Formats: sequence, structure tokens, C-alpha cells
Amino acid sequence: MTEKTFFQIGQRPQEVTLPVSGSEPLDRRRLPFTRRHLLKWRSRLNPKTLRQERILADKKPLWWAIALVFLALSAPFLSNSALTVVSIFCIFSAINVLWTLIIGTAGIFSLATLAVVGIGAYCSAALNVYLGLPWPLMFLAGGLSGLVAGGLLALPSTRLDGLYYALLTMGVAEICRVFVQLLKPLTPCNGSINNVIGFIPRDWVLQRPGLLLGFAGAFVLLLLSLLVFRIVNSERLGMLLQTAREDEDFAQAAGIDYRKARMQVFLISSAGLGVIGAFYAQYYGSISPAIFSLDQLMLLFAMIVIGGLGRAEGAVIGTAIVVLIDKGLLDLGPLRILLVAAIMLLVTLWTNNGIAGAREQFRSWRRRKQSEARARRTEKGGDVMPEEAIEIHDKQAIYYRRFDKRLRDHLKTLITPEMIAEHHRSPLGQHSDGLSRVLNYFRRGDVTDKYAIIRQSGGQFHAYKIVAFSGVRGAPPRLVDDRIHEGINEAYHAVFLLRVNDLMES
Amino acid sequence: MDLSILLVYGLSLAAIYGLMAIGISLLWSSIGMINMAHGASFAVSGYAAWAVSTAAKPLILAAFGKTLSGTIVMAGLCLSTGALSGAIMGGLIYLLAFLPIHDKPNFAVRSLIVTLAINMASVQALLWAFGPKQKSLPKIFGMGKIEFLGLSVRYDQLGTIIGTTVILGLLLFWLKVSRKGLEIRAMMQSPEGAVLSAISVRWTALPVTMLTGALAGLAAVLLSQTIFVSPTSGAVPLIKGLTIALLGGLGSVPGAVAGAVIIGFLEAIIGAVPFLGQRYVLFGTFLFIITILIIRPRGIGGLLDKARK
Amino acid sequence: MVDMLKVEGLTAGYGPLRVLHDISFKVAEGERIGLVGLNGHGKTTLFRAISSQVGWQSGSVQLMGLEVGGSRSTGPGRRTPAIVRAGLAMAPQGDAIFPGLTVAQHLDCGAYTPIAWRERKRRREMVFDIFPPLRKLEQALVGRLSGGERRMVSVGRALMVEAKLYLIDEPSLGLAPKISTSVIEALFSLPQDGRAMIIAEQNVALLSGRVDRMVGMHAGRLRGDVGHVSLH
Repeated sequence: MTEKTFFQIGQRPQEVTLPVSGSEPLDRRRLPFTRRHLLKWRSRLNPKTLRQERILADKKPLWWAIALVFLALSAPFLSNSALTVVSIFCIFSAINVLWTLIIGTAGIFSLATLAVVGIGAYCSAALNVYLGLPWPLMFLAGGLSGLVAGGLLALPSTRLDGLYYALLTMGVAEICRVFVQLLKPLTPCNGSINNVIGFIPRDWVLQRPGLLLGFAGAFVLLLLSLLVFRIVNSERLGMLLQTAREDEDFAQAAGIDYRKARMQVFLISSAGLGVIGAFYAQYYGSISPAIFSLDQLMLLFAMIVIGGLGRAEGAVIGTAIVVLIDKGLLDLGPLRILLVAAIMLLVTLWTNNGIAGAREQFRSWRRRKQSEARARRTEKGGDVMPEEAIEIHDKQAIYYRRFDKRLRDHLKTLITPEMIAEHHRSPLGQHSDGLSRVLNYFRRGDVTDKYAIIRQSGGQFHAYKIVAFSGVRGAPPRLVDDRIHEGINEAYHAVFLLRVNDLMES
Repeated sequence: MDLSILLVYGLSLAAIYGLMAIGISLLWSSIGMINMAHGASFAVSGYAAWAVSTAAKPLILAAFGKTLSGTIVMAGLCLSTGALSGAIMGGLIYLLAFLPIHDKPNFAVRSLIVTLAINMASVQALLWAFGPKQKSLPKIFGMGKIEFLGLSVRYDQLGTIIGTTVILGLLLFWLKVSRKGLEIRAMMQSPEGAVLSAISVRWTALPVTMLTGALAGLAAVLLSQTIFVSPTSGAVPLIKGLTIALLGGLGSVPGAVAGAVIIGFLEAIIGAVPFLGQRYVLFGTFLFIITILIIRPRGIGGLLDKARK
Repeated sequence: MVDMLKVEGLTAGYGPLRVLHDISFKVAEGERIGLVGLNGHGKTTLFRAISSQVGWQSGSVQLMGLEVGGSRSTGPGRRTPAIVRAGLAMAPQGDAIFPGLTVAQHLDCGAYTPIAWRERKRRREMVFDIFPPLRKLEQALVGRLSGGERRMVSVGRALMVEAKLYLIDEPSLGLAPKISTSVIEALFSLPQDGRAMIIAEQNVALLSGRVDRMVGMHAGRLRGDVGHVSLH
């Protein structure tokens, strides 16, 4: 069963609102050939200033755009080594974004990513070197081989449970590595394929123009993989799988074929990984079995764990952190991997979803503490619980309830036997301050269930009974009890006692 | 292809894999944690045993000379150091991977990741401290063979098989019979009931992690004849242990034993078949495991007893 | 003489839901208290708050003078073993049983002190005297027993060590009337010296005439804590 979730109530974070100019509040421009808007604008009327204003409901495209533009513009100013590091960052980010698609969206805990990348790289490199395939078609070859490999890997995923499948896929990369080293034509080079002719012209390799071109290619690769992530995750397939993530049984009952959707996402990602493999081979001009090594896989896994499983920004952030440590602090030697492992440990222990989810985690923790504190403070009939507060339209009523509660608490302290005796002596007339306040409060009460005195008819004088109004037009008051009070003052006092009793019990 | 040699070789492999696989299966079934740092325990224990044996070698030589008793003392020293350091590693894993997150959500995946991080960290630490060169441990079982029922068995193979069987037998017996074993089994089945019987989850998980760590340490010393001590020496035993535990059904100790025996023999056979040879061993066993898991996703142990979810 | 249990201002709940509102009461040595109230009004939460298994609680809970209340964000049940060792025995609602253990092993789990462990055979016999149907089921797997037998095993486990405070939650839940009467009678046949018992029960008739005090619980508050009442 899914865990019981309570309403998320708390302070909304501050929002930046922009004024509206012109007659149209929102920008209705769409992307060409699609029905998709560029940015998610929402407009509303501010009840205080009585002006139209617009808010950007989803600010994530803004952050992405800023980051990517910054990356692209800063590249020409970096040194050669820094440029290589940034290119590697782009390639690994592309791999991790597609891996996040597999683990997060499809929910298949697969550790065979580098295996698929390697398979794509080897197939396309082999075709290029031994059959002279031109480099644009290498991408196609890589994609196809990735697709086939993904198909083979997808078969056990339906049968095996999450963790089982993860552990199994760890072995796949090892198998590939051994296999590649066994191939006869490759044994002279120790299993690697060299002299891959890619999109970087021969005389530019390892020179500045070549590096810049390489970076440009890697950047385009990152953009493409982010595009694939966006198209899969936010469109039909991603939506189908979102239901499956939250409640599989419900999804099945609603007729959503989430298994097929998972397969499709897996295949798409695998094809993408194959393409990345082909790019990898072209970028380095060769491909070696080191791509299948467990250390490399663990490093990439550390990247997505640190960033946060399931989110594209997590993949990129995690990759940035780890690549910076790994390639930037080379002089530390093996200790830098220790640092990466330590960060991975701390992130897993302390956060629910990596660094990208830290903000949300903090906010939900704070919300939880606030609601616990509110629940501790709440007395019955005083504060309104958040679940009820949503239903109440006029929020003023909540404050009135709070005020009423405080007033009642104060009046309870005022009621003493002396005050009751005072009222008994003279129900109407000059009263002390405390009694006046209490009586004022009673007299202001709601008509529903308000006590009243009814004089008995039929020839009886000085006979009164106590009734309570129903508060509904046309419905007669009900008798509270059968006691007959002699004299109006007795009746007043009896009503007072009843009201005091109700006050003390509330 | 001598069947007897094959038999013995297969058994010895099965014994060692059994040590690793049972450790992993036991840990999963008792506290629900997959220990990817088992390989790290393996490597660290190997290094500890090497350090102690190198330090103690001159002393033992001086005391006993090159006699049988000297070898026995050295063997005892290596084995106990291996077990002890493995237990300490187990305790470390308990502190880092179990204690902070055992009652938080998503414990299984998070402990997997934490143990992976510990694995990475220890491999790199060992690399930094000792360098990548392999070290070797002294021959704890001595050289030589004995004739036994018409089979020719090497001393170390015999020692491995007998030693492993005894250790595992003792462990499983202890779990069934002792009070701590009872508490561990109670904790597996109902955490609320265990807590109300004054069984503290933390204090029952610690012995389990230390024991499985000690098993890995023992495996490191026993395997030192074949797998030399190096920072990455734990990787292959970890993969083998994990896949065999999967094959046997995660959480099923009899299944792990059965899986170890099957894979041990399979490896021996594949290695001996002429046109395959040693290079295809990994391939073949892996293919076999995948096929079995596709047919029976819960592994062999699903036949034997109920595995934990 | 110090009270067996003293609760003051206990407020507890799960997340944003507050279940117990400012509960205060005392249990003296030798007392048997019946906690009555409808389902969902906080009886189980009260027991869980005393044994430190709720989401959050504030207020003081003193077991024989030892302060055990105010559990904060440590995980559920982290402090419970310590509280149990301080002298609490609880048979929770719905039997937290170990399905794969035999009845004998199950009862042995309840013997957590060294003395109790050494004489566990004798104590098992004592439990079998209290619940005779369990004697022939000594080696049967608890997971295969019927509801009444399971309840007996669960309560029997709580009796293996001489605890000071017994919290029995809904002993008659889901049981046939004859069996629930026998369970209740078994509970009341225990000696009263140096112990106290709180039995939470929906079925008032089972407790009437047997308990020393009847306390009502409604909407997370104690109602009608009266003196010696026998309700019929």
C-alpha cells in the first residue's frame, strides 16, 4: 500500500511577478510546427493592487538556458586542458542524462549503460576502420547497434526484480570487456580500435581548432540528449510512466500499458547511448576496452547519485562535480576518487534525492516541523487544522475562530462561584466587570441552540421553561428539559447556568 | 581431462564462492542490505594478512624453523588476521551503511549505493597506500598432494574444502541454535515484535555484518593461492559472490550453497573443455546464470524456502 | 511509594495529525486499569507513545520514576528495547508475531533477561499453565496457528519476564467470545504484587467487575476517570 500522505501546507515561496504591458497579458507565441509554448506564463489579477500581473510558472527552462549559454560562450576562453575537461563533461552528461531516463523515468535500475555505449562505439569504429564507413553514417551505425544491444538487455528486465537486474547488468560490461579482448583482429592492439576517422579533420586533432570542434560536437550532443530527455519525459511516454511510478496497480487497472512504455523508453535511450558511443570513438579517434571497466561505471554512477536519481538537472550537476574533482584535481592521485566516494556517501546518507533534490527536501522537512508544531499547539476548537483550512473559503473565519477561542479561555478563568452567586442575586441590573463580559459574550451567541425562556400558557403564572432555538426558519425551538421555573429571575439564572456549563465544557 | 581433478577443483572453487555468496545472502535476508563492499572486505583482509605475515615471518622462522608446526602457526595467524580484519570492515560497513539509514525510506537502494561508495573508497585507499603491485601471502597449506579415495588432492584444495565446510556448518548451526541467531531470525520476521521483545535491531545487525565480513576475510586468505593480494582483488570475488547469491535466490542460504556448487563445477568443466578454455569461463557461467534467472526469477532458492522480498 | 506509570501532559501524533491531547494519569502498583473507548480514539496511540513508537510526542512519561517520554526524530522504536528492559511488557494490537518461529522459540524471544533465559523452560511451562491450548502446539509454527492461539502466544511472550507494567492492547479483538473470555481470565489470574496492568478494550463487558479502575478515552482525551466503578 502507498504510504499515507498528508496535505502539503505551508508558506509559499516568494514569487517574482512581472507587470503586463499592452492589451494581451500573456505571450501567445508558439514554437513553429508545434502547439507548445515557449515559456510557461501565467497571468492573474492581484486583488490588492487591482492590476494584472504575470508570473513565469516554470522557471527551469530559464536556468537551463542560462547555464548552457554560459557554457557555450565561455568555451573559447578556456585553456586546452580545461577545454578537454569541459568536452568530457559534456559527453558524460549526455550519457548520464540518458541513463537518468532509464533509471528515473522507466524505473529500470540498469547498470549496463557503459556497456551499450561501448558496444555502439566498437561497432561504429569497426565499420569505420575496416569497412571505410564515412563518419556521418557512424552515428547511424552506433544508434542501430545500441538499439539491438538495448533490445537484448531489455528481455531480462521484465522478468527480474529491480536489484537483481542491477546486479546482473553489472556483469554485462565485464563480459563485453573480456569478449572484446578475445577478438582475434584486435589482439595486437590489446582489444582497442585505433585510427578512427571522425568529424575532426586529421591535421586539427590535438590542436586548438580540433579541440574547439570537438567541444562543439560534444555540446551539440548534450543538447540533443537533453532534447531527447525532454521529449520522452514530459510527453506521452513520460506521463504514462509517471502513473506507473506512483501506483503500478492503478496504472494497470486504468489500462496503461506501462511495461510497453518502459521498453520503448529503454530502447530509445539505448539507441541514444549507441550514438554517444559513436561520437566517443570519433572524439578520441580510438576506442579501448577501458570503457567497459567497472571503475568507469562506478564513476558515472557516482555522478548520477550525487546529482540525484531521476532528474536531468541532477545528472548534469553530479557530472559537473565529479568531473571537476576527477580531472581537475589530478595531482591528488587515487585520493580524488576517495573524495568522490566520500561525497557519494554523504549525499546518500543525508539527502533523499541527491543535490538537485536538496532544496525540496529542506522545504518538506521545514513544512513537516511546522505542521507538527502547529498540531502540538492546537487545541480543539481553536486553530483550524490545515486540512480544514483549505476548504474554508473566507479565511477571516479562521481568525475569528482563533479570537473566539482565546476569548473563551479568558472567560473561563473569570467564572467563579462568587460570580454565579452575584448573578443569582440579580440576573438583570448592574453587574461587576467580569460578569458583564461573560453576559455580553453569551448574548452575542449564535441563534442556533441559543437558550431562551418560554412562559407557560394556560393559566399558569410565574411558570417558565427553557427552550433552545433551532436556528432554522420555520422550525420550532426544542425543550431543553421539563423543569418549570418559578419566577423570571430563576429562569434567567437557570439559563445562565446552562450557558456557563456549555462554556466550561467547550 | 581427469574427472577426479575436475571434481576436486570444482569443489574447491565451490567452497570459496560459497563463502562469498553465503555472506551476501545472509546479510540480505537478515537486515535487507546488499553489501557491495564485500569485495573491499576481501581486499582489505588480504592486505592485513599480508602485513601481519610479513611482520611475523622472521619471528616464526626463528621459533619453529621450516617445520610443519611453523607452517601451521603461520596458517593460523593468517586466517585469524583475515577473519579479524574482515570483521572490522564489517563493523565499519555497519556504522556507515546500516546505522544511519536503516529505518529511513528506500533503505535497500541507499545501502547499495553507500556500500558501493565504501568499495570505491577502500580500493582507492589501498591503491594509494600500497601501490598497484600484487603481494602474495605465504603458502598456508604447504605444497604437496595426498591420495584420497583414488583422487589426488592438493593440500590447499583439501584445506579449503574442509575448512569452508566446517566454518559454514558452524555458522549455520550457530544461527539455528543460539540465542543471537534466534534474535536475528526474529528481527527478520517482525521488527515490531522484535522491538517489543527487547531485541534491538542495531545490536543484532552488528554481529551479522561482522560475521559476514569475517567470512570474506577468510575467503581472502584461502584464495590467496589463486588470487594474489592487490587493491582490485576483491572485484572478481564480489561479482562471483553476487551472481551466485542471485542464482541461489537472494536471501536463501541453501540456495547459495547449491548455486556455489553448481557454478564451481561449471567453471571447472568449462575450463577443461578443449575448445573453450579458461577465457570463456566468465562468459559461460554468466550465460548460465542469466538463463536460470530468466526461467526462475527468484533463483534456485525459490524452490527451497521463502526468500525475503 | 512511587507510581508504576505517571503520564503528564502527553501529546502525541503522526506527522501533522495530533492524536493524543494533553493526557495525564497515574497508575499505582498493583492496579489493573481498563482503558475503554471506541476504535480510532487513541488507545493504541497511547500505548505506542508510552513505548516510544509514535511519530512524535511531547510531555512526560515516567515508568517507575524513569523518564521515557518525549521521543523526537529518532526512528520509530529505536528506544523501545531500552524501555522494555526497564520493565515494560506490551502485547500490541494485532499480534506482532514471528511467523517462521515455533511457539517455543517465540516464547523464548520474550525471555530477554539473563535469569529469564536460564529458566526459560520453567517459564514456558508457566505460560502453558496459563494458556493450556498452547501446550500441544509447542513445536508448531506460529504462522500456521489460528487467531486465538496467536493471541495467546503474543500475550504469553509478554509474560515470560516479570515486567512491571503490562500494556495489553485489545486482547479480544477478532476472537470468538469463549476464547476471548479465557484470554482475559488468564490475564487476570496473574498475581498483582509489584505489577500494574492496563488493558485497552472495546468490549467493556469483559472488563467490568474485574478491573480496579475504568478509564474512558474519547477523541484523544481521557474522559471519566472515576474511582472504583463497576459498569454493567
